[in-house]
Amino acid sequence: MKITEEIKISDNGFVFNSRTGDSFNLNPFGLELIKQIVEGKDFEIIRDVMLDKYDVDDLTIEKDFYEFCALLKHHQIIVQGDPLDFK
Amino acid sequence: MSKQKITLAVTGLNNTDNPGPGVPVIRGAKESEDFDVRVIGLVYENLEPGIYMEDLCDRIFQIPYPSSGSDELIERIEQIHQQENIDVLIPNFDAELFSFMKNEQRLLDKGIHMFLPSLKQFQERDKDKLADYGKKYGVKVPGSLNLGTINQIADLEDKFDYPVMIKGQFYDAYEAGNEEQVKQAFHKISAKWGFPVIAQEFVKGTEVNVIALGDGKGNTIAAVPMRKQYITDKGKAWGGITLADEKMMELTRMLIKKTKWKGGMELELIKTSSGEYFLIEINPRIPAWVYLAVGAGQNIPDALIKLALGWDVKPMTKYKIGKMFVRYSYDMIVDLEKFAAISMNKEI
Repeated sequence: MKITEEIKISDNGFVFNSRTGDSFNLNPFGLELIKQIVEGKDFEIIRDVMLDKYDVDDLTIEKDFYEFCALLKHHQIIVQGDPLDFK
Repeated sequence: MSKQKITLAVTGLNNTDNPGPGVPVIRGAKESEDFDVRVIGLVYENLEPGIYMEDLCDRIFQIPYPSSGSDELIERIEQIHQQENIDVLIPNFDAELFSFMKNEQRLLDKGIHMFLPSLKQFQERDKDKLADYGKKYGVKVPGSLNLGTINQIADLEDKFDYPVMIKGQFYDAYEAGNEEQVKQAFHKISAKWGFPVIAQEFVKGTEVNVIALGDGKGNTIAAVPMRKQYITDKGKAWGGITLADEKMMELTRMLIKKTKWKGGMELELIKTSSGEYFLIEINPRIPAWVYLAVGAGQNIPDALIKLALGWDVKPMTKYKIGKMFVRYSYDMIVDLEKFAAISMNKEI
């Protein structure tokens, strides 16, 4: 999973897709998730980091992560590639 | 380096909710690093806001609508030229372009330079010929049917699914969801803009636009892609943002190369969710959002003036991505004298 190069992410959570002109606001949790995706971390590592930092169980993290990824894909923020990419 | 003094005449000072490009063209020209521009505003109506904007035009002249005859319009331009010595004229309305193109040489002989597409270039991109244009130049265009009579509306259902877009030759477009709505749009448009009325297949997607300038030899001198972020009920951009879309740029360069387009232009495209681009319209002139291109680093009015004067202009290939424009309305308080002068004397 890779964030496309046209995506600009501000430290305050503002995300701009310069190819489509779309912009989005992320909450701090979303910002942290996307930053870790940008760094190329796998889900397992991201999950462990978030479990350490937030009062949340691993099932919720997993559900939120995949929902978030589906949204990123829908808005062409992550590279549209192999549909099995999430597995 | 001292700037070259020129006198620039510009039409389209109607900065209304359906704005003409005149005011932003003047703003761009005034920001030129090479020209010291004296501006002659040419207006059709005495309430065009550009007349009353401070420090915009040095002189204002009212001119007759092209519908009252090309000769009348051109003679008026020649008369103004005798007084003001116009170096470059930038017409900004689709409806007046034909008259200026027909009389390009006549005006040039008098010393008025323009940089316009040829009649062939202008006519082949007419909305009612878009299907042929798409085939000829290898661009996807929506299917369309030219409606000359109301009876043809019944044929629409066999050809396209509803909704369809119903468009006038020059301006106006309505989305119609059934035969009755098509008829209403047909009557509205034909009464205003004549025939044919164009029924165009509705392509679902995001509207994106490119402003561009061709040098007439196949080179793209400037091109900036934009997405409308805020659209008025007239379909006009009230806010927009520059994009990093190489596909749109390639399409623009390809079209300018193949057609050897001369002058300013705007490509109106629909980008579908599968990433396809459909060309829905080509405006044969600078669009009203030109100042976004200036702000993003491509001063298209300045480059167009240089091309009109025969300068060698190098293509501008860079622009700032993510630059936005946001329009606003503003109430100017105006003295009656100005209104009286333009109404009575036809000049200020």
